Amino acid sequence: MVFVGPSGCGKTTSLRMINRMVDPTEGRILLDDRDIRQADPAKLRRGIGYVIQHAGLFPHRTIEDNIATVPLLIGWGRQKARQRAHELMDLVSLDPAMARRYPHQLSGGQQQRVGVARALAADPPVLLMDEPFSAVDAIVRASLQDELLHIQEHLHKTIVLVTHDLEEAIKVGDRVALFRPGGTLAQVDVPDRLLAAPSDDYVAGFLGFDRGIRRLSFFPASALNLETDTVVPDRTTVAEARRVAKDSGQPWLLVTDTERLPRGWISTAVLEELPAAATLSQAPLSGYGHTFRVASDSLRAALDATVLSATSRAVGVADDGRVVGVTSYDRLRTAIHAAVASAPQETTAQETTAQGTTAQGTTARESTAQDGMSAS
Amino acid sequence: MSFLSFAWNWLRAAHQWQGSDGIPVRILEHLGYSGLSLLIAALIALPLGVAIGHSGRGAFLVVNLANAWRSIPTLGLLVLMAVLLGFSALSWLIPLVVLAIPPILVNAYEGVLGVDRDLKDAARGMGMTPWQILLKVEVPVASPLIVLGLRTAAIFVVATATIAAEIGLGGLGRYIIDGLASQIYPEVAGGAALVALLALAVQVAFVLIRRVVVPVGLRMRARSS
Amino acid sequence: MIWSYIPANAALIRQLTIENAVLGIVPAVLGLIIAVPVGIACVRWGWLYPPVLSSTSVLYALPSLALFIVLIPYTGLTDTTVIIPLTLFSLCVLVPNVVDGLRSVPEPVRQAATAMGFGALRRLVQVELPLAIPVIIAGLRVATVSSISLASVGQLIGVSSLGYLFIDGLQRDFPTELYVGFVMVIILALAADLVLVLARRLLTPWQRRDARAELRVSVRPGTLGEGVVR
Repeated sequence: MVFVGPSGCGKTTSLRMINRMVDPTEGRILLDDRDIRQADPAKLRRGIGYVIQHAGLFPHRTIEDNIATVPLLIGWGRQKARQRAHELMDLVSLDPAMARRYPHQLSGGQQQRVGVARALAADPPVLLMDEPFSAVDAIVRASLQDELLHIQEHLHKTIVLVTHDLEEAIKVGDRVALFRPGGTLAQVDVPDRLLAAPSDDYVAGFLGFDRGIRRLSFFPASALNLETDTVVPDRTTVAEARRVAKDSGQPWLLVTDTERLPRGWISTAVLEELPAAATLSQAPLSGYGHTFRVASDSLRAALDATVLSATSRAVGVADDGRVVGVTSYDRLRTAIHAAVASAPQETTAQETTAQGTTAQGTTARESTAQDGMSAS
Repeated sequence: MSFLSFAWNWLRAAHQWQGSDGIPVRILEHLGYSGLSLLIAALIALPLGVAIGHSGRGAFLVVNLANAWRSIPTLGLLVLMAVLLGFSALSWLIPLVVLAIPPILVNAYEGVLGVDRDLKDAARGMGMTPWQILLKVEVPVASPLIVLGLRTAAIFVVATATIAAEIGLGGLGRYIIDGLASQIYPEVAGGAALVALLALAVQVAFVLIRRVVVPVGLRMRARSS
Repeated sequence: MIWSYIPANAALIRQLTIENAVLGIVPAVLGLIIAVPVGIACVRWGWLYPPVLSSTSVLYALPSLALFIVLIPYTGLTDTTVIIPLTLFSLCVLVPNVVDGLRSVPEPVRQAATAMGFGALRRLVQVELPLAIPVIIAGLRVATVSSISLASVGQLIGVSSLGYLFIDGLQRDFPTELYVGFVMVIILALAADLVLVLARRLLTPWQRRDARAELRVSVRPGTLGEGVVR
């Protein structure tokens, strides 16, 4: 679950109510169906992981001791705790050689990883993250976000993450709660529906005016009907190639190597100029540009690749890099049209608005904090 | 009998307030020695401290000076000067000035050093000459620390001037040293009480000086930090 | 300078040095023991700090000799008469340092500790105090060096220390004795300072190593010019 909204909207405060760093004035928060106010705050917090913007690593402890903090606190032996620390360093892709170093010797991105590892050390069911990636630069941030998604695939924890970055919310969140300034909820929904059907003008404004295109990132590229007849291996002769081009009626052919990895485009005009008996392996080719993976990328990625390509065509590859087929604007249009038409639209806008407004007036978020949710 | 009763009894006696060994005379003497030493020390240490803080050169010297000066035994220095130079003015003046210089120097240095780089930049951008920047920006902004340095030095000077009675200096220390020599505790107590009051009065004076010298905006900023 | 004085009086010099050391170190240690809880209280209950600070400022302005004398009717001409005022002076330096040290703990670190389930006491002992050590030791250095130096003044009321060499040297008009006393006080003080620097190094293995910075002095505005020696 991601809390997102403008500064001062109360998203961080709401998060901090979950581990009782802040106590709500009204309402209740239930963790595993138990009111958290019944529990001793310190004990409660040992069962909830907490990651903050500037990591807050203890400068006076080594990395491994930092990570082992909560396990040691709840009574594991030093040996066991340190071992766990090493496991986690592995999970967050930290070089084990760093274990005995001190925080000031690590970069910002590395420190954040340690922060995440530390939060996960005692294997808490719930993890709270308050703008965890805001303090690092964009490149590091993207890789940390990817790692979070990767970790979540293994761990399946309940994660509540606060961010002011809508892109991050949409990328990382299974569900997104958008806050209004002043602290009430505007909409709580899955990212796709949020983009498709904002409940009001505020939400639409917050999402920005390219949400249509952003929404395409939720439609799989595998929905594309790819062109395969224009893909030719480089051992093909020029004469053969001319025939293929004429049969398909397309101005460009994609040339691949023997492994079926893409090599480049060749135009029919160029084909006319070449000696008929030569093979395509020596022919001058135009770069094939950026490819998209058919199995794992989205329509948005395919569209992006097509826009960037000099030939207005993009190459779809399998995970191992082998060419599956080629797409063009026409094919994209068909796929996008089909995807948008089949996705749920206006009717659910009413539902999500209703959910949002029931939380108005109270400062505690009952329903969203329940541990019934299986993922972030 | 408690300290206060000893002191009070002695102070009440009328004859204490008259003559060349009278209290008013001794107070003035004490202030005179202290003031003169402080002035000379300031004349040496302030320009030096400001210069080092401004240019950044010689910083290593200042850093180590601050640490080492606290170890100098004041009584030892006074006595050493007295034995080497005889009971002359220099034998007390030199130690007092030497002990007053470090706090003034270090505080002036830190004060000027701590002036925000952006301020100096803005001043330069407005067309001020280096001298103008120094006098109109750096020194005023450093003034809280500069005054603090003078105030600290004043504490040490007043205290050391008291001890200097041991090598023959006048001032309020005279009562203490003479009293100890003749084993007349009321005189010792009276002297101690007066010195303590004088020291506090000097501190109050510096609070007032600060109010006058340090620009209002800076005073408020310091208070809120 | 008569060099033969030194071996001839080695025993005396050693004894006086030890006495001076005790008169200097005990106040600093006592000051620390008192300052730590007082400082913790001032951080916990912020309103306590301004009055405490004002009181220590007033105290610090008083000449040491005057304070020794104030105590004579109560503690006589004993070591205690010197130790109590020097302890008070050490307090004046150490309380602001303890407060500053605790306040210098970065907020994210404090928040993280709370969020991980550290109770207030555990957080204080395991996180905040260790991180405050450099600043506290800085204050301890100032307190120790000052106490060792001021202890010699106690000789004026008959409390034995290296100050004896000053008084005796004055009476006998004997510079050598003075030189010895002077140098011994300084050596003693600087040796104590060095020990504390080394102690800080040992206690804070996580700090960046920077030779210049180790000895650096910086002045904290608002105190009585007693710089925070870092």
